[in-house]
Amino acid sequence: MTRQRDTAPKFLNLFEIRFPVGAIASIGHRISGVLLILALPLAAQALERSLHSEAEFRALLAMRASPWASIATAVVAWAIAHHLLAGIRHLLMDLGVGHRLAAARASAWFVNVAALAVAIAILAAGLWSGGAR
Amino acid sequence: MKLRIYRFDPDTDSRPRMQDFDVQPGPTDRMLLDLLMRVRQVDDSVSFRRSCREGVCGSDAMNINGRNGLACIQPLASLKEPVVLRPLPGFPVVRDLIVDMTQFFAHYHSVRPWLINDQPPPERERLQSPADREALDGLYECILCACCSGFCPSYWWNPDKFVGPAGLLQAYRFIADSRDTATAERLDFLDDVYRLYRCRTIMNCTEVCPKGLSPSHAIERIRRTMVERSS
Amino acid sequence: MRVFSGQRAWLLQRVSVLLVLVLLAVGGLRLLFWPAPSYEDWRSFASSAHGAVLIVLFFGAVALHAWVGARDVVLDYLQHRAVRFAVLLLVATMLVAVTLRVLFVLGGQIA
Repeated sequence: MTRQRDTAPKFLNLFEIRFPVGAIASIGHRISGVLLILALPLAAQALERSLHSEAEFRALLAMRASPWASIATAVVAWAIAHHLLAGIRHLLMDLGVGHRLAAARASAWFVNVAALAVAIAILAAGLWSGGAR
Repeated sequence: MKLRIYRFDPDTDSRPRMQDFDVQPGPTDRMLLDLLMRVRQVDDSVSFRRSCREGVCGSDAMNINGRNGLACIQPLASLKEPVVLRPLPGFPVVRDLIVDMTQFFAHYHSVRPWLINDQPPPERERLQSPADREALDGLYECILCACCSGFCPSYWWNPDKFVGPAGLLQAYRFIADSRDTATAERLDFLDDVYRLYRCRTIMNCTEVCPKGLSPSHAIERIRRTMVERSS
Repeated sequence: MRVFSGQRAWLLQRVSVLLVLVLLAVGGLRLLFWPAPSYEDWRSFASSAHGAVLIVLFFGAVALHAWVGARDVVLDYLQHRAVRFAVLLLVATMLVAVTLRVLFVLGGQIA
C-alpha cells in the first residue's frame, strides 16, 4: 500500500478548482508582496537619486511620461495598494474583526476592487499626462 | 442529469481520466448522493465512500463543481450541469473518488484530541459553567470530513508538515476546554513554523465546511491564546 | 532556525508592519497638510537627525517584514533544502544590502 501511496495521483489542477473571493485577495497579497520585495532595491535607488540633485528629484515625482513607465508605476501602485489593504484586512481579523464569512467576503471584494481601482487611476493619470505632451 | 466523474483504477490505469454519465434522477432523489447511487446502477465500478447519507459521518466528501462538499447533503437543484465530481484536492487517490486519509488522521492524532486532566476525577462530573460549555460550540461538531483541509492551499503545499484546518480546529477544541489542563503543552506543540504557522488565513476552509464551522477563526484563537500566554 | 520559531516570526511580521503603518501615516499626514515638498524641504528632512532616523526605521521595518514574508513563500513552495537555502540567502543578502545602502545614503546627507 505504501508504494501505491507514493505513486498515487492527486487532483490538484488549480484551473478546475473554484476559488472563493478571499482566496483571490490572498494570492494577490502574496504576489504583491513578492513584487514589492523585488522593487525594494529600486526604492533604495530612488531615495538616493531623489536626494542627489533637484533635477532627479523632479524627474522622480513627474512619473516619466513613457507608456512603459506609466504601466510599471501602475503595477507598483497596485502592489502597494493591494498589499496594504489586504494586510490591514489581516490585522483586523487578528483582532477578531470581520472574521465571519459574510464580512470576510465583503472585505475581500473591497480589497480586490479598490486595489485595481488605484492601479487603473494611476495608469490613466500617467498615460493622460503623457498624451498631453 | 449529466455528470463528469474522475476515474482512476490503480490496477489498470496509468493516469486518471474523466468519464461522462447521463442518469435520470428518481422521483424522490434530492441530493447528489442519490444520483451517484443511480450512476452505480449504470456502472458499478464507480467508487466512492458513503455511509450515513445525512451529513454527519463525513465519508462522502468530494470536490463538486470545483468546491469541496458532502455529496449526501448537496442538493441536486443547486448543481450546474455537467456535475463535475473529483476527489478531494491534494489527497492521494486510492480509486475514483476515494482518497487516502492516512496523513489527515495522523495530523488529527498528533494534536492529542482527548481530554487531558491528571487531577483526581471528582465524584460526578468535572463541572463546567454554561459559558465554559459554550466555548466548545463551533468546535466539537467537526465530523472530520476533510473538506476544509482538502481546500487549503497551505495544506496542499505541505500536507506532511502543516497540521491543517481540521486538525487545528480539533486542537483548539481542547485548548478551549475549561476541563483540559494541558494547554501549555498543546500550544508548545503547535508553536512551529509548519504545524500551525503555515496558515495564511486564506479562509478557504471556512468557505467549504459543510457543518458551517470556522477553522480559520479557531486558528486565530489559537494564535491569540499563544500571544496572551507569552505576554 | 530556532530563533525564528513559529510565533516569533509571526509576531515580528505583525509588529514590523505596525511600525511601517505608523511611519506611512505620519508621512501621509505631512503630505496632506503641507503638500508638494520642494527639493530643499526633502533634503533638509533627510539630512536632519530625526528625518534620517525615520527613513532608516522605515526601511529597516520593511526589510524585517519582507524577510518573514519571503521566508513563508519559500517554505511553502520550495522543498529541496539546498535550493531553499540558496534563495533565502539571496533574499537576506538583498535586504541587508538595501538597508545598508539607505544608511550610507542618509549618513552621507547628514555629514
